[in-house]
Amino acid sequence: MSMVALEGLRPWILQRLTAVYLLLYVFYALAYWLFFDTLTYVHWLAWLADDVNQILLSLFYLSMLIHAWVGIRDVLLDYIKPFLIKLLLLFGVALFLIGSGFWLLKILMMVQV
Amino acid sequence: MQYDSRPKYLNLFKIKLPVTGVISIFHRLTGILLFAFIPVSLYFLQLSVKDAASFQQLSVLMLSPLSRFFILLMLWSLVHHLITGLRFLLIDMEFFLSRQSSRASAWGVVIVEALVMVTVIAGLFL
Repeated sequence: MSMVALEGLRPWILQRLTAVYLLLYVFYALAYWLFFDTLTYVHWLAWLADDVNQILLSLFYLSMLIHAWVGIRDVLLDYIKPFLIKLLLLFGVALFLIGSGFWLLKILMMVQV
Repeated sequence: MQYDSRPKYLNLFKIKLPVTGVISIFHRLTGILLFAFIPVSLYFLQLSVKDAASFQQLSVLMLSPLSRFFILLMLWSLVHHLITGLRFLLIDMEFFLSRQSSRASAWGVVIVEALVMVTVIAGLFL
C-alpha cells in the first residue's frame, strides 16, 4: 500500500479504534456505577482519585477528542464549501478540542482525597 | 448516454430515507450534539469534584426541568450514537451487508434503542 493510500486510512482507523475504547469504557463505568443506588461525594471522589480510573478516564477523553476531531472534520468537509470558512472552522474545532483536553487535566489535578 | 429517470430532490422534506439512512443521519446529528456537550460534561465534572458544596449544587441543578431535558437529550444522543456506531463497526467487519440483514439490523438498532431509553427514563424519573 502506498503512503498516499495510508493518508486516508489513518483517520478512518483512528475513528474505529477510539470508538472501540469509548464503547468499552462506557460499559466499564456503567458496570461499576449501576451497582449503587446513590452517588455520594466521598465515593465519587475516591473513584476519581484512583490511579487506574484517572488513567482510564484520561484515555476516555483523549479518545473522545480524537474521535470528535475525525467526525466533526468529516462533517465540515462534507457541508462547508468555501475554503477559508472551512479552514477557520477546522481551526476553531481543533482549538476547542485541545482546550477541552487541558480543562480535563486541570479538573483531574483538583481531585484530592 | 443513459439518463437516470429517478427524481432528484433537493428539498429535504421530500426525501424518503430508508430506516438505514434515518439511523445513519441521526448518528451524524447525535455526534454533533455530543461534540457540543463535551464542555458541558467537563463543567459538570468540575462541579462534581471541586468540593462537597458544589457537588450538592450540581445534584440540585440536575433536578430542574430544563437540565433534565438536556440530560435526557445528552443520554439519548449517547445511546443512539453508541448503538448505531456498534452496528457500523459490525458492518466494517462485513456483517449485515445484504439489503435484508442491513434493514433488519437497522430495525434491531431502533428496538434496542427504544428499550434502553425506556429503561433510562424509568431509572431517572420514576
